[in-house]
Amino acid sequence: MAAPRSCALWGSCGRGWSRVMRGCRLPGLRSSWPGSPLGARLLSQEKRATETHFGFETVSEEEKGGKVYQVFESVAKKYDVMNDMMSLGIHRLWKDLLLWRMHPFPGTQLLDVAGGTGDIAFRFLNYIQAQHRRKQKRQLRTQQNLSWEEIAQKYQNEEDSLNGSHVVVCDINKEMLKIGRKKACAQGYKTGLAWVLGDAEELPFDDDKFDVYTIAFGIRNVTHIDRALQEAHRVLKPGGRFLCLEFSQVTNPLVSRLYDLYSFQVIPVMGEVIAKDWKSYQYLVESIRQFPAQEEFKEMIEDAGFQKVTYESLTSGIVAIHSGFKL
Amino acid sequence: MVTLLRGTLRPLHVPLRAASQGTGLLYPEHIPTSLLQKVLLTAGSAGMALYNPYRHDMVAVLGETTGCRALRVLRDQMKRDSEGAQILQERPRISLSTLDLDKLRSLPEGSLAREYLRFLDVNRVSPDTRAPTRFVDDEELAYVIQRYREVHDMLHTLLGMPTNILGEIVVKWFEAVQTGLPMCILGALFGPIRLSAQHLQVLVSELVPWAVQNGRRAPCVLNLYYERRWEQPLKALREELGITDPPTHIKA
Repeated sequence: MAAPRSCALWGSCGRGWSRVMRGCRLPGLRSSWPGSPLGARLLSQEKRATETHFGFETVSEEEKGGKVYQVFESVAKKYDVMNDMMSLGIHRLWKDLLLWRMHPFPGTQLLDVAGGTGDIAFRFLNYIQAQHRRKQKRQLRTQQNLSWEEIAQKYQNEEDSLNGSHVVVCDINKEMLKIGRKKACAQGYKTGLAWVLGDAEELPFDDDKFDVYTIAFGIRNVTHIDRALQEAHRVLKPGGRFLCLEFSQVTNPLVSRLYDLYSFQVIPVMGEVIAKDWKSYQYLVESIRQFPAQEEFKEMIEDAGFQKVTYESLTSGIVAIHSGFKL
Repeated sequence: MVTLLRGTLRPLHVPLRAASQGTGLLYPEHIPTSLLQKVLLTAGSAGMALYNPYRHDMVAVLGETTGCRALRVLRDQMKRDSEGAQILQERPRISLSTLDLDKLRSLPEGSLAREYLRFLDVNRVSPDTRAPTRFVDDEELAYVIQRYREVHDMLHTLLGMPTNILGEIVVKWFEAVQTGLPMCILGALFGPIRLSAQHLQVLVSELVPWAVQNGRRAPCVLNLYYERRWEQPLKALREELGITDPPTHIKA
């Protein structure tokens, strides 16, 4: 699974030095470095049956889960600060855009997988509440000659503001969930929220349960992405929507160079200075390079059974929102 | 501009991230870094160390990224001295696992071993809190800076300085004169920023001149094979190095 993907990346990317680096990493390719990509692909497919990538390292599939867990355990406390610093705050816009594309209505059952610190869940609740408030305002404007008591009554119906909307935040990592719950308390989100410890490859939910499934910046850390996609398909109701916000491949060559420079030179340094953790952030930028490009990921989503799969590249392709429906 | 970019992007003679294979790493904890990364690390660690003085790891990183030249000078100094050359060859480490605490405790009162253990107890520190070297791109120099870090506690014992901020600054002045490491010089100059006026007074008028004098007079402290000198009385060692008693006694 890993071999064809990385070969495709190697073939399609035009970045000189990162190609050198990637070439040095994969043992199967090293001996056939000057050879054809096809020969290298056959060789590495045989050798790496149960091996996968952890950033630019090669590890066994059993190891990867544990290693990813450790990474997120160690970065959990500084996760939000680092996100703001690394993306210069732009990650907030990306997540807002995901919600706008989702356009949930009151009563939506959302499952946010790998949602650890709750960014998507809180935005979802805010969106629903903002919708409700706008609806209330509209209703009040159309009604006339209301007494002060009746107006106050309308505004006081807090419990109904969500109108049945609910979000389940599921994450494999306890530390990330802890941080998320703390944030929820601190920011005053009391209802409509549930926190579940679970594995994206084996979700602890029944079939056909959710209206929307989101996974923001989480799917590239999953060992078997195809299994996660299949699980997503399983737990969604018919008519349900799959949304994935993830780092993707940059199309513009100039932006790509600057992005690489920034990713590999600046981000691990930031990780060391702010979070005391060089290696986790090195893993982060490498795992981004290992993730398939927009088209390839679209095909993977289609393979899992989703239809009407589309994607939208943001910020020159640094991130992409993939969307699919279970019909 | 493009050549500058390419220069910073081009990896060193070791690839930028070879951790997976273990090849290209000069020592177990090594993280190869490009020039740009070193510059950014220097700026970032200096800023963070000033902003949050409890980030000792940032001071250590600053030492590693800026110490290239000074470490080479130190290493050559060590090679010229017989004891220093032995240290470079045998590569002793000071940590709780390598120290035989019972044996050290059995040594006579007033010996280096007993004074060192007392220093560890009173200040509640342990020799195992020294972070391993990561950003030095030469294996021998990585050992030299590791040795310098592990000897730091010995210096506290020799100078009779506690581990509060005043004591640390005094030791930094001594180290700055002795080693010439930019990190020590920066620490010595910028450390006092957070001191109270009274402490600053004492520091400038008495402690710094004393530390500088002793630093100049003493031979290179990295040349001492401390592991072979545990029985030596501390007073005798101080005389050998020409270290006098501190002008004012600082409480821990």
